[in-house]
Amino acid sequence: MSAEVEFAPSGFSAAEPPPRPAGNIAAAALRFGSLIAFAAILIIFSLTAPYFLSIGNIGNVLGQSAISGVLAIGLTIVLIAGGSNVVTGGIDLSLAANMGLSAAVYASLTQLGYGDATAIAAAILTGALIGTVNAIAVVYAGIVPLLTTLAVMNVVAGLELVLTGNTVLPASTPFLSALSASDAFGIPVLAYVLLGFTAITTAIVQYTPLGLCLYAVGEFPDAARAAGLPLRRLLAGAFVASGVSGGIAGILSVSYLSGSTTGAGEMLLPVVVTALLGSVFSRRLVPTITGTLLSALLVGFLVNGFQLLNISSTLVSGVQGVLILIVVSATTLLRRQEA
Amino acid sequence: MSLQTPLPATIGLPRLIAGGLVRYGLILALVAVFAAFSVATPTFLTPANLQSILVNNFTLLAIVSIAMTFAVASGGIDLSVGTAMDFASFAFVSLVLAGQPVAVAALAGLAAGAFVGAFNALLISRIGVSPFLATLGTLFIGRSVQQLLTNGGNPVYLPPNGVPEAFRFLGHGTIAGFPVPLAAAIVVIAAAAVVFARTRFGRVILSIGIQPGVVRYSGIAAPAHVAVTFILVGLIAAIAGLILTATVTTYIPSSGNAFLLNAIGATFIGTTLSPLGRPNVGGTVLGALLLSIVANGLLLTDLNFYWQQVGTGTLIFAVLALSFINRKAAGTA
Repeated sequence: MSAEVEFAPSGFSAAEPPPRPAGNIAAAALRFGSLIAFAAILIIFSLTAPYFLSIGNIGNVLGQSAISGVLAIGLTIVLIAGGSNVVTGGIDLSLAANMGLSAAVYASLTQLGYGDATAIAAAILTGALIGTVNAIAVVYAGIVPLLTTLAVMNVVAGLELVLTGNTVLPASTPFLSALSASDAFGIPVLAYVLLGFTAITTAIVQYTPLGLCLYAVGEFPDAARAAGLPLRRLLAGAFVASGVSGGIAGILSVSYLSGSTTGAGEMLLPVVVTALLGSVFSRRLVPTITGTLLSALLVGFLVNGFQLLNISSTLVSGVQGVLILIVVSATTLLRRQEA
Repeated sequence: MSLQTPLPATIGLPRLIAGGLVRYGLILALVAVFAAFSVATPTFLTPANLQSILVNNFTLLAIVSIAMTFAVASGGIDLSVGTAMDFASFAFVSLVLAGQPVAVAALAGLAAGAFVGAFNALLISRIGVSPFLATLGTLFIGRSVQQLLTNGGNPVYLPPNGVPEAFRFLGHGTIAGFPVPLAAAIVVIAAAAVVFARTRFGRVILSIGIQPGVVRYSGIAAPAHVAVTFILVGLIAAIAGLILTATVTTYIPSSGNAFLLNAIGATFIGTTLSPLGRPNVGGTVLGALLLSIVANGLLLTDLNFYWQQVGTGTLIFAVLALSFINRKAAGTA
């Protein structure tokens, strides 16, 4: 059991139904299978590309995964609170656009001569505001999340275009330079930011009663209502949290790219895939924050390994697609066996 | 609304009005948008522009949205409609370029679209992957395959003087003054309407979408119906791919994905604003028309192009919000 503690939030296991041995074996097979697959990928790359397993390169992958990782973790919170049905349940399609607008807000404020503190606050506020609009529309107007966030995505992407005129806004401040620097071992600061962000959200989502409530709202809404949980406020909170993640990712992207750039929308589907893939790294095949981090790193290592081996990066989306199909098919087949 | 809520003895006037707003909400929205643009821009209400809305904005979106409606009706969603369009388009252009007759190339294009659908069908009905994830995977793989086929995403052009007449006809021809693409869209819409209203297949997939459990217990082969549905989705999307290709005489990798989000929007606008809250052909067509009018109308206003995207999103948002709030007021939510 001790090996599973890392992936099995202790706070949540209390709410589990009595364990079904067959289901546990199937889930364990898949989880270990996916971990073994992850390890196999690492081994293959480290054998074929000598530089791959160096500390500097691992740090690089962590740093490069920071933006998509933060976004995917934000989306995971919505997946947890919204439940497993992607159409009517939790999904936030506005996240990538949110990152783009937050980055644009940050960059244009620094260009206007405002300091880092103002720009950071404004970027996070922008993200939170977008999350709040989603929350109000989903929770209080009752529009399904897929539609709400689709419409909001359009509005937000448009606002970004209006603000930037579809051009690159360069930005450089002391804070941004510090973020994009590397430490003495050559590990980018962004890598630490990703790990720190993951640690904080993991602590909140997997180890507090609040996080337990989020899972309850998503998986057993009727039971959660019967238990007197504030369903609407929790779901709304998840959307706001996701919005804030978008704002933070926006700041990271300004630092990573030395400004705000166009085309944030292209991040959307990879982020959705990352968040959805994450559940294979959890014991009960549910979305978890650490699972999402692992899946973000898996994708990061794949991209990085391909680059080191000079394999066309166009293959990455294909590999992502094949991965998600294999993983999901395996999950489904295993679940069917257990039933 | 729980079942315990007693029915009101009399249906109050506010409730009646709210109910009417739900029932006719989409048509009201269309009329309002139409009127607003007629007043705001001098050129919107000209015959040439109205034709342009139908041919340039509406045709392709309507066909893709009809494809999406089948997927949504069966309780799923298809994120790979653009992929099916692109594969059809690639097969079509490549074969025409290789000197094959247009009819053969078009059939191959339809087959390519159906192949994408069949891949989804396999994943969804044989393995049991949820449609969202299965088609998401297909979308990603399709993107890679297209880049591999085109050396990293280069468009495939047909030489201007080498375009066969039948090819041009499909994109720009007219039948008795009626544009061919629009005619194709109307045929697809009519056929879909007949399938849903008059055939057993249509009724079965709608029931699968509404109550999958009941369908299973009634002994209907639900997986087979879902499989046929997704192949059909690929096939219909392929028609849009062929028309798109014939219009621009070029295959541009991943260009079909531009239609994905609007097709989802049109389908769900139609669904949420319909009296029954079900996917339906009429609602989808009105939804596609609404999006087309908004796209065209905003283009004619003096608004900066970038504000147009904000405008479109805000309008869709407003329509959805109003409908849902009305629905709540009418007690049908």
